[in-house]
Amino acid sequence: MNKTLLSIAVAASFVLSGQAQAGAHAEIYADFPITVKNYAGSKTHSEAYTGQIARHTLHNSVKKLISKGASLEQTQAYFSGKEPGRIIIDPASKDGFPMLQTHVDKISKGKNLSGKAYKGLISGMPGNLTGAELLNLMLEKAAATEKGFDPLTGYDYTQLFSKFAMGAVFYNQAVDNYLDEKLAADVNPNSKAYKEGKAYTGKEHVWDEGFGYFGAPAHTLGLTAAEVYGIAKQKSDSFAKADHNGDGKVSMVTEMAYAHAYYAASFDKGGKTKYLHTIVQAFVDGRKLITSANGEALTDSQRSELMGYAQVIKTQWQRVIAESVFKYAGSVYGDIEKLETIIAANGDAAKAYRNYAKHWGELKGFALALEAGGVNLGEAGVKLNRLLGYSPILLGNTQVTGFVDGEFVQSPSISMGEYQVHMIKVQKLMVDNFGVEARSKDMTANLAKLVDSLGTSLAAEND
Amino acid sequence: MLEFLLSWFSELRGLVNQGSKRVFFGYILSAAVIAIFWLMWQRSLNFLGALRWICQRKTWWSSSSRSDYQMMFINQPIMLLLSPLMLSKLALATALFYTLTDWVSRPLWPANISTFWVSVIFTSCLFVVDDASRYYLHRLMHRWPVLWAFHRVHHTAESLTPFTVLRTHPIEGLLFGLRSALVQGLLIGVFVFIFADRVTLISLLGANAVTAVLNMLGSNLRHSPVPISYGKTLERWLISPAQHQIHHSQARQHWDKNFGAFISLWDRLGDTLEYGSNTQQLTYGLAGQKPKEHQLSTLYWKPFKCCWSHLRRNKVRLISSINAIHITSEHE
Repeated sequence: MNKTLLSIAVAASFVLSGQAQAGAHAEIYADFPITVKNYAGSKTHSEAYTGQIARHTLHNSVKKLISKGASLEQTQAYFSGKEPGRIIIDPASKDGFPMLQTHVDKISKGKNLSGKAYKGLISGMPGNLTGAELLNLMLEKAAATEKGFDPLTGYDYTQLFSKFAMGAVFYNQAVDNYLDEKLAADVNPNSKAYKEGKAYTGKEHVWDEGFGYFGAPAHTLGLTAAEVYGIAKQKSDSFAKADHNGDGKVSMVTEMAYAHAYYAASFDKGGKTKYLHTIVQAFVDGRKLITSANGEALTDSQRSELMGYAQVIKTQWQRVIAESVFKYAGSVYGDIEKLETIIAANGDAAKAYRNYAKHWGELKGFALALEAGGVNLGEAGVKLNRLLGYSPILLGNTQVTGFVDGEFVQSPSISMGEYQVHMIKVQKLMVDNFGVEARSKDMTANLAKLVDSLGTSLAAEND
Repeated sequence: MLEFLLSWFSELRGLVNQGSKRVFFGYILSAAVIAIFWLMWQRSLNFLGALRWICQRKTWWSSSSRSDYQMMFINQPIMLLLSPLMLSKLALATALFYTLTDWVSRPLWPANISTFWVSVIFTSCLFVVDDASRYYLHRLMHRWPVLWAFHRVHHTAESLTPFTVLRTHPIEGLLFGLRSALVQGLLIGVFVFIFADRVTLISLLGANAVTAVLNMLGSNLRHSPVPISYGKTLERWLISPAQHQIHHSQARQHWDKNFGAFISLWDRLGDTLEYGSNTQQLTYGLAGQKPKEHQLSTLYWKPFKCCWSHLRRNKVRLISSINAIHITSEHE
C-alpha cells in the first residue's frame, strides 16, 4: 500500500514538476549540501557519480570501436583495461556541440566495464556464460569480423554488445545493487562518510551511483523528453539546452544523456509515456529524503520511503528496456517483410539482411538486458528466450542453436514467416508482462488504423 | 448534459457531411442530378419539369416522410445511449489476430503481392463480405417474426426519400451495427495477420472507395419514386433503384424480394431476385396499414409489442408441445 501511495506521490510530484518544466526553477540533481558530520574537506556539495559517467563513456567508446572494426586489444582497453590516457571516442565534440572532457581519466580514474558486469548466468545465449563472460566473448568474436558484423550467424556485435552491456553493467548495478541490497540499513549507512574523508554519506553515494548509471542530465526535470533525446544525439540545436551552466561546453558528467535515459526520452517524446521524468523525479525525491536526514542514520520510515522511490525507478527502468524489446521486435518483423519481398523478386537482399541483423542485435541485446535486472522473469523470460532463439533466422532457415568449442553451431529451424509470428508474440509478451505503453512499431497498430479508417457508425441505417 | 447535446448535434451534422454516411449531401446531390437527367431522357421532361418532379411535396412532406425526419433526429441520442452495447471492432480484430498468431503459420506467399494489390484485395473483400452479410441479415429480418417486428418499421414508409434509409428502429440499427463490426473486425484481423502493415483501405470521402463510388452513382435513388432500372443483364449483378423499390412494394408478388444492398448476386443465389422496370408503378408500405403507423409512439413501441406477442404465442405453443410429449410418454 505504501508503495502504491508513493507511486501516486511520485506521479503527482511529476505532474507538478512538469508544469514547472519550462520555468527556471525545475529541480536538478545537483548542489545537495554536505551532511557528513565533521567533514573537513573543500567540497561544497555532496553528489558524486563520476565513476558511473566514466563507464558510460567507456561503453559508448567500445560501441564505436567495434563498429569501426577495431582490434580486440583496442576494445579490451576500454572494456577491461584501467590504463590512464584513454581518449573518449564517443561522445566526442561535434560542430555546434563541444564537449568539456576528452579523456576518461578527466571524469574518473581507473574505471572499466568488466569489473561491474553482471556475474549471474545469462540463459538467453548458449554456453552457460555469465553476463561478464558473454560480453567478453562478444568482443572476441567482434574482433574477428569486419566492423562487428558476422553474416554467417547474423550477429551484429556492435548492437549486441552495446544493448547487453547497458543491461549487464548499468541496469544491473543500479537496480540489483545500489537500489537494492545497498539500501539495507546496515550497508553504507547514512551516519558515516562513504569512505574516510569523502564529502558524502554511504546512502547519499549509493543513491548517486544509481542515478549516474541511469544516464540522465542533472537538469532533466527542466527539459522535455525531446530535448534530452536531442542532447544524447548531440544535435547542435540542442546545445543550448544541454549547456545548463552556460560555460560554452557540455559536461559529460552533469549535462549529457546516455544509455537508458536516452531510450526513455526516445519513447517519452512520443507523448504516451513519462518514463524519463518519473525516474529522474524519483531519484531527486530520494536524494532529497536522504539529504534531509542530515547525516544521521535513516529511520525505518525514511528507509521504507526510500525503498518506495527505488521501486518506482526499478519498475519504470525495466519498462524502458521492455519498450525497446517491443520496438525492435517490430523492426525485425518489418525487416523480414522487406527481405521476403526482395527475395521473391530475386533482388539484392544484402542491405535488407544487414538491417535485419542490426535490429535483431538490438532486440536480443535488450532482451538479454532484462535478464540482468536481478529479478526472476519466470515464464516470461523463458518464453522470450524461446521466441527469439540464439540468433535471427538465417536465409537458409537455420539458426544458432549451440556453442561448442568456442564456436556457434547452427541447425535447421523455422521459416522466416514463422519467425515473424514469434515477433508478434514477443510484443504481446512485453505488453502482458511488463505493461509497455509507448509501443513503437506496434504490429497491431494497423488494426487500430484500419478500424479508424472505416469510421464508427452510430446512425441507425437500413438497406 | 451539454456534452450529450453536443454529441447529438455532431452526429446529426455527421449524417450529411461525412462520406461514410448514406445521406451525405454529396450523394444526395449526385442522386438528384442523375434523377433529373433520367427523367429528361425517359419521361421527356424539360429540366424544370424534372426538377419539379423530384421536389414534389407529396414525396418530401407526406406524413410518412415527416416521420422519417423525426426518427432521424430521435434515433441519434438513442444510438448514443446504445453505443456501449456495440461490439468493438478493434477488440474483435485484435483477438482474432492473436488467435491466428497462436494457431496458424503465417503464409509466405503474401510477400509476392504488392502493397497496391493488397489494398485492392482488402477493399474489395470488405465490400463484398459486408454486402453479403447485409443480404443475409436483411433476409433474416424478413423471415424471423421477432426481427420482422422491428424491420417492419422501415417498411411502413409509404413515400420513399433518401432519408427513408434512416427510418430504422434503434434495435435494428443496433443489429446492423453489430453485423458491421463483426464483418469488419474479422476481415481486419485476418488481413493484418496475413499482410501486416501493408493493408490499407482504399478510401474515398472517408468511406470504402467502392461503396462511395456506388453511392455517388445514385444508390440513394433506391429510396425515391424514380424507378431507374439497369436492365436485366446488369441487374443480375447489381441492385438497381427500381429493384429496391420493388422490395418496398405492397404487392403480394413482391414480398420478400431483392434483399441485396448493392450486389444482386446474393438474391440470385437465394432465389429472391426480381428485375426492375423503368415504367413500374408501385404502391409502397405494408398492405392494409393504418395512418397511425407514422406516429412516433407506434414506430418505436409497436415493435416491442409485436415481438412480445409473438414470443408469448410461441411460449404457449412450446408449453403445449412439452405437455403433449409428457402425456404421450406417460401413456406409453
